[in-house]
Amino acid sequence: MKKIKKQNVAGLLEKWQKEFTVFVPSKASGVLQMAAWDGENLSFLERNRNTAIPPKANFLPTMQKMFGFRKEEGGYVLEPTDEDPPKQLLFGIHPCDARAISIIDMVFKDAYEDKYYLSRRQNTVLVGMACTSPYDNCFCTSLGFGPADATDVDIMLTDIGDSFLLEQVTDKGKGVLAGAKDLVEATQADEKKAKEVKESAKAAVSTKIDTKEISKRLPLVFDDKKFWEEIAAKCVSCGICTFLCPTCYCFDISDEMLRDGSGGARYRNWDCCSFAVYTKMPAENPREEKWRRVRQKVYHKYAFYPELFGVIGCTGCGRCIRQCPVNWDITQTLNSLPEGTAAKAEEKQKTS
Amino acid sequence: MTEDLEQKLRDEVRTLLEKGKIEHVIGYGEGSLKFATTPIMISDQADVDRLVINPFIHNNLSVLLPEVSGKVAVVAKVCDARSIISLVQNKQVARENVFIIGVPCNGIVDVAKVEKLTGLDRDEIDAVTWKDDRLVVTFAGGSKEFSAPEVALDSCLDCDCSGFKEFDLVIGEITPVAANKELSRVRIKEMEAMTPAQRWEFWKNEFSRCIRCYACRQICPVCFCERCFVEETEPLWVSPLPRWQDNLIFQAVRMMHVAGRCTDCGECQRACPVNIPLGLLTGKMEDIVDELFDYRAGMDKDAAPLMAAYEPEEAEDLMR
Repeated sequence: MKKIKKQNVAGLLEKWQKEFTVFVPSKASGVLQMAAWDGENLSFLERNRNTAIPPKANFLPTMQKMFGFRKEEGGYVLEPTDEDPPKQLLFGIHPCDARAISIIDMVFKDAYEDKYYLSRRQNTVLVGMACTSPYDNCFCTSLGFGPADATDVDIMLTDIGDSFLLEQVTDKGKGVLAGAKDLVEATQADEKKAKEVKESAKAAVSTKIDTKEISKRLPLVFDDKKFWEEIAAKCVSCGICTFLCPTCYCFDISDEMLRDGSGGARYRNWDCCSFAVYTKMPAENPREEKWRRVRQKVYHKYAFYPELFGVIGCTGCGRCIRQCPVNWDITQTLNSLPEGTAAKAEEKQKTS
Repeated sequence: MTEDLEQKLRDEVRTLLEKGKIEHVIGYGEGSLKFATTPIMISDQADVDRLVINPFIHNNLSVLLPEVSGKVAVVAKVCDARSIISLVQNKQVARENVFIIGVPCNGIVDVAKVEKLTGLDRDEIDAVTWKDDRLVVTFAGGSKEFSAPEVALDSCLDCDCSGFKEFDLVIGEITPVAANKELSRVRIKEMEAMTPAQRWEFWKNEFSRCIRCYACRQICPVCFCERCFVEETEPLWVSPLPRWQDNLIFQAVRMMHVAGRCTDCGECQRACPVNIPLGLLTGKMEDIVDELFDYRAGMDKDAAPLMAAYEPEEAEDLMR
């Protein structure tokens, strides 16, 4: 195991800047999000709080040109976008967000390979930072991992005081560290310290949900309109909880024509199942009513995603709770699912 | 003090429900976040004790009026009550169906301001309490004190509640302790002092962050259109893509649409997850409306809605 002194991290970032656009947690834009490092500010090395905008924006940008098109005799000619997928290195990504990226990877290479997402993904190095100051409504430990889990990153850093302990998790991670100066062997004391830091971070995650119980109860409550109406009553149907969710990946597609009609371009942008227009179709809207939309959001993460991919589509990052303007809290919903009767469960099993 | 008010509110609401004067109440309940409350809707007397009053009753609950039918009581700060009257003026709700319960809103704490002043996040703060007219913020390793105007909501600084007469019931006494007209206009004055080019650059920068989550629109009580212009596709008034120019157009048009019914309650700014200072726009707009038309939305339920009423003798012949 290696370590690097905090004062030497800038040198490492500068080395990486030669090959990558290095993104770090930054408030410079007015909101805490991953932003290109300015080469100076290193406050993110000390204040380790997760970003408001999740790093999914680095793979699924808020808007993205897919291709251009031009009218020619007999039809349209497609013009691939000339934008090469950027080579990015995300420094300081939290384990919950790295896990979230692994989770949405499954969607983007499932039925077909989404080259827009995957090309960015393949060109990106994730340098994780063990989360040492989880928010009070984080609940990652209930989802089978923890605030210092290194599974989904290429390199993992853990703050051990004046240095970071550095784990080289993947070959990609090892590759970008080749030739790096200032890496020194970590001592046993360093590793012990890192272990303590990780343990105390884990202990600091205080909000809990019981995923086993949830998976048992969810199938029984789908038709309980009254329950969902009550749960949804205060929701104002804005896009905050989904847009800021690191595992929400829905997008809309729209074409923009040039004024003279000679061509245009196709774009995609974030979309959201909380909006009533999301499912609006010419004949009907299956989720016109708010309670159906709120139910959809909960089921997508906690029922449909496990069914399709074998994993819960939530990492417990808590953004949807912290940022909600009415303090709608998914953990309260999940913890208040009515207990189904055994008979009801049996009946459900028969019909399914 | 707060407990007394809470008890009084609960007693009053219980009586109203008991006597059948109201069928529901929309009020504040304990939030799951620190220093937050959450909207609750109650129809049963047994639930009345869930109602709270504290310095964190931020939401303008009038936005939830469409959620209930029949006679409903709303726990309201002055700005929120003005929104209700604005909705009455615009025929979105019948005055006789809403029972407005005024609560003292002197000293509602803007948690975002406290976070900024202390450099701490909400969950890193241990306690936020009023000691007379000073706010004491306690955190690991110390405490800090702030004056009311430093930490009150912007709308409290701008408060002029003396003229508001539409409460059906008032719990406690409503006095604008944090009102500070000068302070409430500092940022607007800064914006006014900019050259057009600087102002353009300022808003370009702010709207570059917008992710088009529409929280500003959804949390707004007077954004009551059944179909928002941004959702129209034929014609496409504004692109759904979150380019800063389109974001700016969306917000500018939204502002024009709510001019004369917006009460500058501050909810759009509070809801914005990327911290766009929308209060600068609503504040300036309210000033313009007042200056040009001597009109303040939500003060007089019988006043015709500013932008939706027309008199034949008006100078403007657009409608003739």
